[in-house]
Amino acid sequence: MSNQDTKPVELSLYKAHEKIYPREVKGRFQFKRKLAVWLLLGLFYLLPWISWGGEQAVLFDLPQRRFHIFGITLWPQDFIFLALMLIIAAFSLFFFTALAGRLWCGYACPQTVWTEVFIWLEQLAEGNRNKRMKLDKAPWTREKIFRKFSKQFLWITFALWTGFTFVGFFTPIKELSMQVWQWTLGPWEMFWLFFYSFATYGNAGFLREQVCLYMCPYARFQSAMFDKETLIISYDEQRGEPRMRGKKRREVENPGDCIDCTLCVQVCPTGIDIRDGLQYECIACAACIDACDDVMEKSGMPKGLIKYTTENALEGRPTHILRPRTIVYFIILMTLVASFGVALVNRSAIDMNLIHDRNTFYRIVDSATIENVYTLKVMNKGNEAAQYEVNASGIDGLKVVLGMNETGISAEPGQLVTVPIKIQAAKDAANKKIHTIEVTVTKISSDGSDSAAEKVKYFGYNK
Amino acid sequence: MTTEPIVKNQGFNERQIKRIFWRRMAIVLWVSFFTAAVESMVFFALFDPAYLGQLSSFGVDVSQWQGYALGFMFFWVFTFSAALFSGLVLALPRTKLAKRNPNA
Repeated sequence: MSNQDTKPVELSLYKAHEKIYPREVKGRFQFKRKLAVWLLLGLFYLLPWISWGGEQAVLFDLPQRRFHIFGITLWPQDFIFLALMLIIAAFSLFFFTALAGRLWCGYACPQTVWTEVFIWLEQLAEGNRNKRMKLDKAPWTREKIFRKFSKQFLWITFALWTGFTFVGFFTPIKELSMQVWQWTLGPWEMFWLFFYSFATYGNAGFLREQVCLYMCPYARFQSAMFDKETLIISYDEQRGEPRMRGKKRREVENPGDCIDCTLCVQVCPTGIDIRDGLQYECIACAACIDACDDVMEKSGMPKGLIKYTTENALEGRPTHILRPRTIVYFIILMTLVASFGVALVNRSAIDMNLIHDRNTFYRIVDSATIENVYTLKVMNKGNEAAQYEVNASGIDGLKVVLGMNETGISAEPGQLVTVPIKIQAAKDAANKKIHTIEVTVTKISSDGSDSAAEKVKYFGYNK
Repeated sequence: MTTEPIVKNQGFNERQIKRIFWRRMAIVLWVSFFTAAVESMVFFALFDPAYLGQLSSFGVDVSQWQGYALGFMFFWVFTFSAALFSGLVLALPRTKLAKRNPNA
């Protein structure tokens, strides 16, 4: 690795960080971003407060090891759903990246969304870009202290509220608010509240674009999903160059449309110049589009000098939305979503496990009957106490006897019950060395639809 | 750390060397934190820490929360060591190669 190309990478490691003061900008894309911020943060801050059937609608109850999501209770045994959901999320990310670039970064990533809010709060306390830059250079006057203090106050309050809401997803939020009010928080709630608050404060207040540049894995590999048909934010070099400003424009015969006002650089939250071409630092927030469109309108030139476009479109070729990459991603995504839906609908509230007794193959009950002994484990994954009956099929005349003089199996929600069971069969019917039988556990209820089944070995009377 | 030989050869000053060192440490910390978090999530979705405490050779009695925290720290120690090791060996020391026989 001694070639010249590696040098810029080292550069970014020793270059001192320069603070970026993003200029505020309004426009159609910024409107959409604001909408996304309100929607996503609204969801985050309100969701824990919503009740569903008398319980908190979304509650990840880690000590009890169960997740409540809108009336559905998920147990560790339902790990497959979590895994499927994460895979679906990953493929959605791939699909939308291939289609429209870094939509996630620009509009939906928590880092972007919270940074936006922190920048708004900063503007509220310290004013616009120029004022903020002046304020940072100015000596510590009373006004500066006041403004910096207000900013910190707003930031810390907002961060604490965020931390509180975060913990509210794991501890019932209404009790939590009482605990906060009376200052009787447990050590874990306390730790996570402050930890998440601190993380929000640090990431959205100070690290900001550095999270995207240095910490985010997605930023490094997103380009793998890109092709020439992917939507990118691009500066139209042919139209814009040669860029020049003011007087010079009148002296030259054919100036480019770019008036070199550098507004696109000033509004960029990651501090790049989009006119240098596509860069990995670009989080596709489209702030430069809005800024440039505004300038183009004011100077009487057509909009779209910086715009959402594709590499093909820039080179004058047609762009295809339907192409193998997007089609394959879409098919995989839809298959996953469908299987997730089917699995969720058909999900049984019974989890069973049947183990054959290790010591004996079979026992002789009387001259005509033998029995196999098993240990049956039944877990109630439902929300209410339930009773179960056990049946077996596979050999004619199978009879299930619950051990320990038990008359039935009952389990509280979340309870795992272990019952020894004997399955009896006639010697004549069970005459092979090994049979396969199916044992079914059915919930006793009015609809009686929920059941689970398992196939096990049954050792027959074979001499 | 072994960052020094490589950066000294490239003519960095003391401050820059320090900065490189701390940035590398930050990367090691961040990467190990992130992987440890993912590992703990998957691991504790499959295993209940309260049971594991009883099963362990020391017979520790831990609550779920303590188990999650201990498990996370446990994972973090190992991911941190792994990341630190990677960081260490990635920063190659610059040494002069011995002159080789051009006919070999």
